[in-house]
Amino acid sequence: MSNRTLPRLLQSPAVVLLLIWMLVPLSMTLYFSFIRYVLNNLRKPEWMTPALSNWRGFGNYEFVLKSKDFIFAIQNSLLIVCSILFLTVILGVLIAVLINKSFPGQGIVRVLLISPFFVMPAVNAVLWINMILDPVLGLQGIAVGSINDLVDGLRAAPGVGWFFSLWPELTPISFRATQTSAYAVIIMVTWQWTPFAILIFMTSLQSEDQQQKEAAILDGASTWSQFRFLTLPHLGRPIAIVVMIQAIFHLSLYAEIEIVSRGNGNKNLPYLIGEFANNNIGAASATGIFAVILANIVAIFLLRIVGKTLME
Amino acid sequence: MGRIVLEQVTKSFGETQVIPPLDLTIEDGEFAVFVGPSGCGKSTLLRLIAGLEDTTSGKVLIDDEDMTSVSPSKRGLAMVFQSYALYPHMTVRKNIAFPMRMAGMSEEEQNKRIEAAAASLNLTDYLDRKPGQLSGGQRQRVAIGRAIVRDPSAFLFDEPLSNLDAALRVGMRLEITEMHERMQTTMIYVTHDQVEAMTMANKIVVLQAGVIEQVGSPLELYHKPRNKFVAGFIGSPKMNLIEGAEANKHGAETIGIRPEHVTASKTSGLWQGTVGVAEHLGSDTFVHVHGIEGCDPMTVRAAGDATFKHGEEIFLTPDETQLHKFDTAGLRIE
Ligand SMILES: Nc1ncnc2c1ncn2[C@@H]1O[C@H](COP(=O)(O)OP(=O)(O)O)[C@@H](O)[C@H]1O
Ligand SMILES: [Mg+2]
Repeated sequence: MSNRTLPRLLQSPAVVLLLIWMLVPLSMTLYFSFIRYVLNNLRKPEWMTPALSNWRGFGNYEFVLKSKDFIFAIQNSLLIVCSILFLTVILGVLIAVLINKSFPGQGIVRVLLISPFFVMPAVNAVLWINMILDPVLGLQGIAVGSINDLVDGLRAAPGVGWFFSLWPELTPISFRATQTSAYAVIIMVTWQWTPFAILIFMTSLQSEDQQQKEAAILDGASTWSQFRFLTLPHLGRPIAIVVMIQAIFHLSLYAEIEIVSRGNGNKNLPYLIGEFANNNIGAASATGIFAVILANIVAIFLLRIVGKTLME
Repeated sequence: MGRIVLEQVTKSFGETQVIPPLDLTIEDGEFAVFVGPSGCGKSTLLRLIAGLEDTTSGKVLIDDEDMTSVSPSKRGLAMVFQSYALYPHMTVRKNIAFPMRMAGMSEEEQNKRIEAAAASLNLTDYLDRKPGQLSGGQRQRVAIGRAIVRDPSAFLFDEPLSNLDAALRVGMRLEITEMHERMQTTMIYVTHDQVEAMTMANKIVVLQAGVIEQVGSPLELYHKPRNKFVAGFIGSPKMNLIEGAEANKHGAETIGIRPEHVTASKTSGLWQGTVGVAEHLGSDTFVHVHGIEGCDPMTVRAAGDATFKHGEEIFLTPDETQLHKFDTAGLRIE
C-alpha cells in the first residue's frame, strides 16, 4: 500500500492541474447553460450578470433545439468532417504510394507536397475563395470564361461550327452561395490536410518490409495485389491515426466557414456557438454542451472502428 | 524437374562488380549449398536465380529454358527468407494459401494442400494464429509451408536458420534435410556456416568475393581442398596452416594439417610447444599450442579425458598422409 502512496502523491499535481484545466471550463459552461445570461438586454438588465436567480432549467436547451439552424449545423458538421476524412485518406494513400517510388527531383516534390500544411487556415481560406474558386476573378472564373470564349469562337468556324453550337454555355459555380459553401470548405481543408496524411503514410511506407514484397512477388502477386494485401493492411494503423486526429480537428472548423460565407448556408456547431455568443451566452453554452456530446459520440464511434486497428 | 544452370553470369551494382563471370550447374534433385564469408555475394547469386535481381550479363537456365528475363513468379521457384517474410496481417492459413490464391487455385485444392503442408510441418494447431504469435522456429516452418504448397521445381533458402537459437537450428537443419530426402526436389541453400554446409549438402559451392573457389561434395572439400581459402573455411576447428622451413621440407609454400590429424603427447613427438588454452568439450579436447614455428597457435584435437594444463610442455606429431600442400599461389599440390 505504502509503495503506491508516493507515486500517487507525485502524480497528483499533474492530475489536479489537468482536472482544473478541464473541469473549470466545463462546469462554467454547464452553469451558464442553465441560466439566463445575455450580454445586452435593456428591458431585463438583471440577465446581464450570471446569477443563480436567473435559473432557466432546460430552457436554453429547448431554445437551441428549436432554433432553425441547430439540426442543420449538426448535419453540416458531420458532412464536412466525413467528406474531408474520406478525401484526405484516399488522396493521401495514393500520393504517398506514388512518391514513395524513387524518381528524380523526389526531395523537392516531397517538400512541395507537404507545404500546404504550413499555411495558416485563414490565409488558406482567403486564397482559395478569392483566387481560385471565385466565379469571376478566380482561376475557376478565368478557366470557365476562356472555355466559353473558345467554344464561342469555334461556333463561327466553317464545317465544325454546327457541332460546337450544340455545346451549352458553361456557368461558373459560386462557392459563396447557400448550397455550395460547404463544398468550398471541404475542398480547401482537404487541400490543406492531405499533406498531413501523406506525411504520416509516407513514413509508414518507408518502414514497410521489402522482403515481404519480394516474397509476394515470388508468390505471384501483381502490383495491385501487393498493394491490396500488403501495403493497405500495413497502412491500417496510420490511417486510423490520421482519421482520429483529423476528426478532432475538423469538428471545430471555424475560420474557413467564417471567411467563405459568414455561415450563410454553411454552419457547424462551433459556428452556431459563435453566433449565439454575440449576445445569448446561455444559448451558446447549451450549444457548447451539445457539441461536447456530439464530439463524444463521434469519438466513441471512431474508437470502436479505429481502436481495433490500433490494438492489433 | 529443377536443373539450374548459370552461364557466364555477372552482376554489378553501379560500378562495383559483385559477381564476376560465373558458371555453375545444379542438377535436378541436388541439395546445393552456397557457403562463404559475409558479403561474398551468396544472397546476390540466389536472388539472380530467383529473378529478384536482373543479371548484368549472362544467362540463367532452368530445365534448359532461358529464364534470364522471365519474371520471378513465372520461374517456378520458391524462396524462404532469413527474416521469414511472412505477411503479418494474415493468419498462418492465409499466409500459406497466398501463393495458391494468387494463382487462382480452387478453394478445395488450396485447403487440401494447406492441411498436408501443416501436417508435415507440425503447424496444424497454429493455422489460425498470426505470425506475431508464433516462435521463430514456427515462423520459419510457416515460410517453408508457403514454399511447399507451390510445388516448385526448386527451393531457394537464404540463411533460413540464422535468426534461430543454436538448439532450434540443429533441429530445423535436420527437418530441412529430411524434407529434401522425402521430396527429392532441387534445393539451393545459402549459409555462412560451414557446419550447415557440411551436414546438409550433396554439393557445396564455396564462394569468396563473388568467385567460386571450389564445387564438390562435403567430403571432397574436406579431403581435397583446392586452395588455402577452402582448406581454412571447411572443417571445424580450422585447419592449421604452417609456413616457412617446416613447409619447405615438404616442397611447399604452405602446409596444412587438421586438428584431428595431429597426435598430442606429453613425452615425445615431432614438434614441441607449450599448451595455451585447452577447451574441454567432453567428447574431445581442443588444445591451442604455442611456440611452433610457422603456425601460432596450432589447434590440436585430443581425447576427451586428456589432461593438458596451461603452460605445460606438449609434443605434437602430424599424420603425414593427411598433410595438405599448397604452392605460392595458395593452390593445392598433389
Ligand atoms: N542492392 C545493392 N546495392 C549495392 N550493393 C549491394 C546490393 N546488394 C548487395 N550489395 C553488395 O554486394 C555484395 C554481396 O552482397 P550479398 O550477396 O548480400 O552477400 P552475402 O549474402 O554473401 O553476405 C556486398 O558487398 C554488398 O554490399
Ligand atoms: Mg546474405
